[in-house]
Amino acid sequence: MLRLGLAASAAALLVVAEGFTFTIGSPVASQEFQMKSAAFVFRTEGCVEPAKAQIGGTAEGLVKGTRRSVVLKVATGARPGVYAVYQNWPAEGDWVVNLKGTCANASAGAVVPIGPKGFIRESSKFYSRPATDAEVETSLKTLAQGGNK
Amino acid sequence: MKIFTRHVSRELAAYFDGELMRPTAAKVERHIGQCALCQAEYQQVQRGMAMVEQLPSVVAPDEIWQSIDVTLNAEPREKQIWQWALAATAVLVLVGIAYWRAGLGSGAQWDVVRLDGRPVVGAKYISGTGKIAPGEWMETDSSSRAGIKIGDIGSVEVEPNTRVRVVTAKPGEHRLALARGEIRAKISAPPRLFFVDTAAGTAVDLGCEYSLDTDENGTGLLRVTKGWVSFQWKGLESLVPAGASCHIRSRIGPGIPYFDDAPEALKQALAQGGDAALSTILGESRIRDTLTLWHLLSRVNPNERERVYDRIAALTPVPAGVSREQALRLDQETLKHWKEELAWTW
Repeated sequence: MLRLGLAASAAALLVVAEGFTFTIGSPVASQEFQMKSAAFVFRTEGCVEPAKAQIGGTAEGLVKGTRRSVVLKVATGARPGVYAVYQNWPAEGDWVVNLKGTCANASAGAVVPIGPKGFIRESSKFYSRPATDAEVETSLKTLAQGGNK
Repeated sequence: MKIFTRHVSRELAAYFDGELMRPTAAKVERHIGQCALCQAEYQQVQRGMAMVEQLPSVVAPDEIWQSIDVTLNAEPREKQIWQWALAATAVLVLVGIAYWRAGLGSGAQWDVVRLDGRPVVGAKYISGTGKIAPGEWMETDSSSRAGIKIGDIGSVEVEPNTRVRVVTAKPGEHRLALARGEIRAKISAPPRLFFVDTAAGTAVDLGCEYSLDTDENGTGLLRVTKGWVSFQWKGLESLVPAGASCHIRSRIGPGIPYFDDAPEALKQALAQGGDAALSTILGESRIRDTLTLWHLLSRVNPNERERVYDRIAALTPVPAGVSREQALRLDQETLKHWKEELAWTW
């Protein structure tokens, strides 16, 4: 019986782990007027208890050939699982936002390039784990070379 | 066709009380629908009357009636008539002042600042800073611009060739009437505290930054740069998010919103309308243009509604909690939920 319970729990965690991810949107998606000046907003998907999710990240930049990293300013919304990212990185240079999150035993990650007109949805990458350093560097390099929309 | 162009300020109170003959009432109603000035004045009359109706009635002390009796018995007849006439005049003046204050004196004054040229508040030029009170007009010529501080919730820039009036300046309601020209609003407050009346309807701030222009006939454009604006006219509502615009027209209200970066063919089709236009709109729509399609759902006939629904469903998965049947029935909760999900793609 114990084995059956453990197996069921493991299966449940697997389901959660497979479904946990981020969705990004423009500030209007949050439906919260306080977030209207955010760089973008995002929400967790597939997290049974979004209020308990651990969310954070960094802005990774390339400024005049020098790599920079800034810890993100992430605000929690009134609705569970909805967050806003405010620009606290310099306007100069090329930047991508590297989001990381955990929910129970599941992880999620996203790399969101920031262009002159704001976040670039079409070039954003989403993972069921934190993005690797190589993936962040590739995204940043592509952005710096003008490879994003 | 005779055009009824004279302003109807004098008839508004009688119109409100239902005392006008039917043809005159119809003319007044038509004029209010076309004239932002008279529309704003009529709203003031409505508010003023509502306030007057809420005033508590107070019983006059017995001493007053006794003194009146004494006076009436003591004075000659002719003198009594004059005294009654004077008293009646005084009462009318007091009622008039109370009515004016109820209607026009709706709240505090706001700070104004000259940005360019020689903007006018009332009959006074603003050379540096000044004030504007409810009921007062601000007017700019072709080389003038001005700023109005909207209480403590934001500011409005008044662009050249604009005529705008402060209607209400209270903590719970900040309201302007834009007769013509352009304003740019930056509001940092919870939704539904700032309103701009135009001849085509009312822009309701939902926490946002936007520009709104209109001509005297109510034809204009709402363009939102941050947050959301709801534009409303007689139960018709367009929800316009950042990056989107919406045309407005008198007696038609708000048009269908579209993103400024939408395909040109889609924008032109929206402006044209008609069956062929719908095919173009559906064919040209990107995922993001579900903003336009979502609004179309409730503005087209049932057959066309099915086509619109199918196009949205083809562009982006229909979320849990939204069924085809409920959406086609225009179930309000379903449409609201769907809009909130679609907004993640906008």
